Amino acid sequence: MATIKQHAYLFDATRCIDCRACMIACSVENNVPMNDTYIWVTGRGVMGEYPDLQRATMPYHCMHCLAPDCVSGCPVGAWSKREDGPVLYDEDKCIGCRYCMNTCPFSVPHFDWDKGLFDGALMHKCTMCPQRLEVGQEPACVQTCPTGALKFGEREELIAEAHALIKAHPDRYIDHVYGELENGGTSYLILSHVPFSELGLPDVGIIPVKNVSEAAMRVTVPFAVGWGAVLTGVTVGVGLNKKRQEEASKKKAEEGATVAGGEK
Amino acid sequence: MKMQVAVPPRVLRFRPSPIAAVLITLMGIGFVVAMVRFASGIGTISNLSNTYPWGFWISFDIYTGIAISSGAFLLAAAVYIFDLKEFRPLLMPSILTALIGYFMEVLALMVDLGRPERIFNMLFFQNFTSWMLVLGLCVMIYLAILVVEFAPVALKGLKREKLAQFARRFIKPAVILGVVVSTIHQGSLGSLLLIQSAKLHPLWWTPLLPVMFFVSSISIGLAMIIFESSMSSRYFRRGLEMHLLEKLAKAIPVALGIYAVLKFAQLILSGNFWHLFDSGLHSVLFWAEIIVGVVIPLIIFASPRNRQNPRMLLVGAIILLLGMILNRFNVSWFGIQRLQDVSYVPSLTEVSISAAIFSFGILAFGLVARYLPLFEDAEAAAANS
Amino acid sequence: MPSTVSRRDFIKIGGAAAGALALASFVPPAVAQAARQAGHLNAQGDGYIPSLCEMCVWRCGLLAKVKDGRVVKLDGNPDHPHSKGKLCPRGQAGIMTTYDPDRVLSPLIRVGRRGEGKFRKATWDEALDLVANQMQAIKEKYGAEAMVFSSTHNLSQVQFENFLQAFGSPNYGTQRSLCFNAMIVSNLMTYGMEEPSRSYDRLKYIILTGRNLAEAISNSETGEWIEAIDRGAKLVCLDPRFTKTAAKAVEWLPIRPGTDLAFHLALINVIIGESLYDRYFVGAYTEGFEELAAAVRSFTPEWASSITEIPAVTITRIAREFAAAAPSALAHNGWRTSNFVNSFQTERAIAILNAIVGNWGTTMHPAGGEEGGALGKPPQPAYPRVSALRLDGVPWRYPFVPLKIGVFQQLRDSILEANPYRAHGWFVSRQNPVLSLPDRQRTLAAMASMDFIATVDIIMNDTAWFSDVVLPEASYLERYDPLSVVGNRAYIRQPVIEPQGEARSALWIYKQLGDRLGISDFFQYKDEEDYIEQQLAPLGVSLEEVRQRGFADLPEGKSDVFRWNTPSGKIELKSATLDQAGFAGIPTWEEPPAPAAGQFYLLTGKGARQTQFGTQNNLLLHKYDDEPRLWMNANTAAGQGLQDNDMVEVASEVGKIYVRLLATQAIRLDCVYMTPGFGHLSKGLTTAYGLGSSDSDLHITYTDPISGGQALSQTFVTVKKA
Repeated sequence: MATIKQHAYLFDATRCIDCRACMIACSVENNVPMNDTYIWVTGRGVMGEYPDLQRATMPYHCMHCLAPDCVSGCPVGAWSKREDGPVLYDEDKCIGCRYCMNTCPFSVPHFDWDKGLFDGALMHKCTMCPQRLEVGQEPACVQTCPTGALKFGEREELIAEAHALIKAHPDRYIDHVYGELENGGTSYLILSHVPFSELGLPDVGIIPVKNVSEAAMRVTVPFAVGWGAVLTGVTVGVGLNKKRQEEASKKKAEEGATVAGGEK
Repeated sequence: MKMQVAVPPRVLRFRPSPIAAVLITLMGIGFVVAMVRFASGIGTISNLSNTYPWGFWISFDIYTGIAISSGAFLLAAAVYIFDLKEFRPLLMPSILTALIGYFMEVLALMVDLGRPERIFNMLFFQNFTSWMLVLGLCVMIYLAILVVEFAPVALKGLKREKLAQFARRFIKPAVILGVVVSTIHQGSLGSLLLIQSAKLHPLWWTPLLPVMFFVSSISIGLAMIIFESSMSSRYFRRGLEMHLLEKLAKAIPVALGIYAVLKFAQLILSGNFWHLFDSGLHSVLFWAEIIVGVVIPLIIFASPRNRQNPRMLLVGAIILLLGMILNRFNVSWFGIQRLQDVSYVPSLTEVSISAAIFSFGILAFGLVARYLPLFEDAEAAAANS
Repeated sequence: MPSTVSRRDFIKIGGAAAGALALASFVPPAVAQAARQAGHLNAQGDGYIPSLCEMCVWRCGLLAKVKDGRVVKLDGNPDHPHSKGKLCPRGQAGIMTTYDPDRVLSPLIRVGRRGEGKFRKATWDEALDLVANQMQAIKEKYGAEAMVFSSTHNLSQVQFENFLQAFGSPNYGTQRSLCFNAMIVSNLMTYGMEEPSRSYDRLKYIILTGRNLAEAISNSETGEWIEAIDRGAKLVCLDPRFTKTAAKAVEWLPIRPGTDLAFHLALINVIIGESLYDRYFVGAYTEGFEELAAAVRSFTPEWASSITEIPAVTITRIAREFAAAAPSALAHNGWRTSNFVNSFQTERAIAILNAIVGNWGTTMHPAGGEEGGALGKPPQPAYPRVSALRLDGVPWRYPFVPLKIGVFQQLRDSILEANPYRAHGWFVSRQNPVLSLPDRQRTLAAMASMDFIATVDIIMNDTAWFSDVVLPEASYLERYDPLSVVGNRAYIRQPVIEPQGEARSALWIYKQLGDRLGISDFFQYKDEEDYIEQQLAPLGVSLEEVRQRGFADLPEGKSDVFRWNTPSGKIELKSATLDQAGFAGIPTWEEPPAPAAGQFYLLTGKGARQTQFGTQNNLLLHKYDDEPRLWMNANTAAGQGLQDNDMVEVASEVGKIYVRLLATQAIRLDCVYMTPGFGHLSKGLTTAYGLGSSDSDLHITYTDPISGGQALSQTFVTVKKA
């Protein structure tokens, strides 16, 4: 089997039965504390009015963006994007500022609200089970999904598969693969029978949200240097001007005094 | 008439006034709550959650706190860069305000950071795409700069004249650096939000956020100078430098005008102008911040008669501050759209932390004003007039 | 996640009491040694061990990841057809059943009153002696039949049955009459087998009557069903509730409860009336078509529509679509079919519907046997003759119910009524009748009338709570059980960790009791491994090998010419057996009872994160489960002045409970629903105690005279604000 260049998930909401085996498997595999979870149910559940009803749910977790905003925003670089997909966390660097919870357009990272100074409050999210990838296994959620709603593999292949499914069943799916382009592309791709907002997914554009932030950053240093130069220039200029004026008035005073003295 | 400079008494007889007693009590409560936070986590004493990772502390202690410390760099620039020495009397109180203000922020961060003991990680592990890093470094640098700028007063108060003189040498370069850092810093609070384009309501999000923050910080700083001067004039029973405040007040409508133009131009050009009317509560909040923070103060400060009236100056300043504080709350809290339908109201213990920090700030200002030659320049100027 | 998680202590996954761990370290690591010999564990004691899940009866093969002597993860075994490498939510949570802090890890003897929960720890010898002496005393004084034995079917069932038969009692209770009697007996009558097997690989059209495959998950079947739907198979779902299964249906029919029978009779009517049936198949392989055709003539879609509240055009259309899709069509025979007394007739109609469209061989096939004939067993003498009647009325009151299946609710009632004689002792193994039987107060009264009750369980379930002796069984991750035959393989359940505390396997417990009761001739195995070796003997395969592979291959069965095992050798559309006994030989309409004004049908069902009555204490399942509430249609609730999350009083003729309301669109206006299994009385279940309420307090006992099936949906209730 060829090595995978970019790991990704493909979730098909039409196959999901909201059993939550994925969440339990993840909790066990990753030793998630009882009061937290890396995967949670989103979606409107039952929609409509009796008897015209519909269901939509999905297991929501980290999107493992291609251009992660948590990676961009973390002051100490605690988040990093591994080449082959997973967005990983370095718990030794984290200062618990929780900026990543703001930067993430999918509102993914969770924080240890109940840990004090001695326990060490950290951030938590889906890791794509690197310990399983290492030994050739799929992430725990994918492996256990009884209906095959969760698939895993090479991102490009899964995108092609998703589009093929849409083509084969045009009346079944919304004609869009969520995550193909959103936020610059994510590694959690989603097929749905209902609008993605009904599944609890945010409306995120195709340009990574970090781009504007990083562009502003690139402008900052030249701006700071320029602004500093301007201010220095003004300070010096004002100072010189003041000196010139002082010397001029001094001269005037001296001249006046001399004249006055001369006249006497 | 020359006023005596207050001499620190040899024996401190501690008999706090009623106000001071309240402030000290609030500090005590906050201290206990902070200890609980350190023992059992932020969640035990606040209503913050995964849906609301930042809440009252960030909006009040950080966003508002940094904004209202912006008077210092304006006055420092006026006095030391533009050599407008007439503003000297206002300078040191303003620098003290900023110094205490930034220290208050550090206190807030000690409670709000998940791992405050690791705050210096920002010096060892640096991710240069992060505006959070810029914010953290700016706080550290500007705090140092404020210490340098305030050093002469402190050293003089501690009777170290020679050292005070020595310290004065560093003021000009410190001020230049301080203005640069402040510009970036005030802007950085806005830049912090650039990455939240998917979450911050389009009434507030714009690529121009750092510019908007900087421009508004100018008017906020000017209003703060007016406010702080009025307050210390009342409390310390001093004169009020009306002629200076009048001049500063003249600049406020200009600053507000530029801000308003930028804001509305950006809304129109980005096609988001219609949100002014269709976004329910967000529209209301936006109108409120504009009317209270821009329109009313602009009308007040545009009138020369108001500018010459101490009471109108104070009223105008307070209204401007309230409106701008609302703006800070809007961009950092109310305007952020959440994925989960969860509500957040800060808990009493949460607010008590901010109350304690705020009380500390007031007490610190009062103590410094009493025991250090804070108003020396003001008195000297008054004496010479 | 429910916000009512009461235990905020950070119980890490797999954290057992330190005491249990300390005890285990003094016991020689036999399991680890064995696993290492089998090649599963490396020198550090880490690795994967194949075994079988027991979180439900699907018994998926699993791979247990072991690290430092602890199970840290369970994965599905790709080699097992029931899991194919996957585990459902309960299977994944199995670790927390084994490491549940509330596990009973030493034998317990009651010291307080029954139900007080006061027990003292005892040694195995003391406890086993006590149980054996009590059982022997009852046998000598009142006869062996005065001892009642009940167990919910599991891999040790063969030895449980062996135990009670060797003891000489006829009184055998299993859970089946609360579950699938209607389906089993109707299949026996129609096809001569308990349940034909189903396949989904060619499926194009499926009618599900109840059978909530998305929530009453049968791992591989649920997966295959979704696969079929993904390929384009059309699902028609009959259910008064919009379940997660109904959500996958192209057509959800919120049918009036108890009227599935009318619906299916009408389908048969259309298919025969419009000649859409498979002429050849019917002619060659079925018996009684003419009588069937005559009998269904009056069951028109118009007739059915007023009964079922489904439009006649819909019924007609579905009948035509179903027949057109045949033979790639399937009317699923359901599983828990204990709904109404007429459920038996419904099941007969479903069985017949499948037969007349000729889907045999396409979507329906001969049943796979569960007990492998090819396996060996320990030698034993013939069982003692039993002359006493069975308390549950089989076969003297229920002639069509197989002995192995029984009528459990009748057993309980006969105990209570002391009719035809009084029972004095009850031995329960891996079963929770206090919660599962309808009418909990009656069950408790029946237990109160016992002189002696002993329960084998892994945790203090309600039945154990009311017992005199609790014998701690090792969990499924800690024990051997007899081999499990699936297809042409015999799979092994082997311990993956040392049993915690003093817990022991059922095989060991039964043998210990047998030895003390003087019936050791029926337990001629040294220990669990010896038992399995005797099972493997005819195969010429070593236990070592089987432990290593996880299974043994069975020899190919002899290919006889297939005959349905009915009196006629054909599929019996008309059952002569039933006819001769005075019952309807052709399914006929039986009007189900309906609630009076102001009453609701009380429906029952399943949730994907619980299994019947024994998993509610599992911390992981509790974490991800929904809060157990009473479902009511939101409009109905509003009309009654009830709001979502109100505490309501639900009352039936026999009981009253208090529970929170869930106002939802997903249920008929005249129905309410509760997920069973909550409302535990045992304070020994820290998580489950006080969680939700039990519908067993409300259920009235109704028994179908033909199949012995309980009718769980015939109880009507009133609901008002508490």
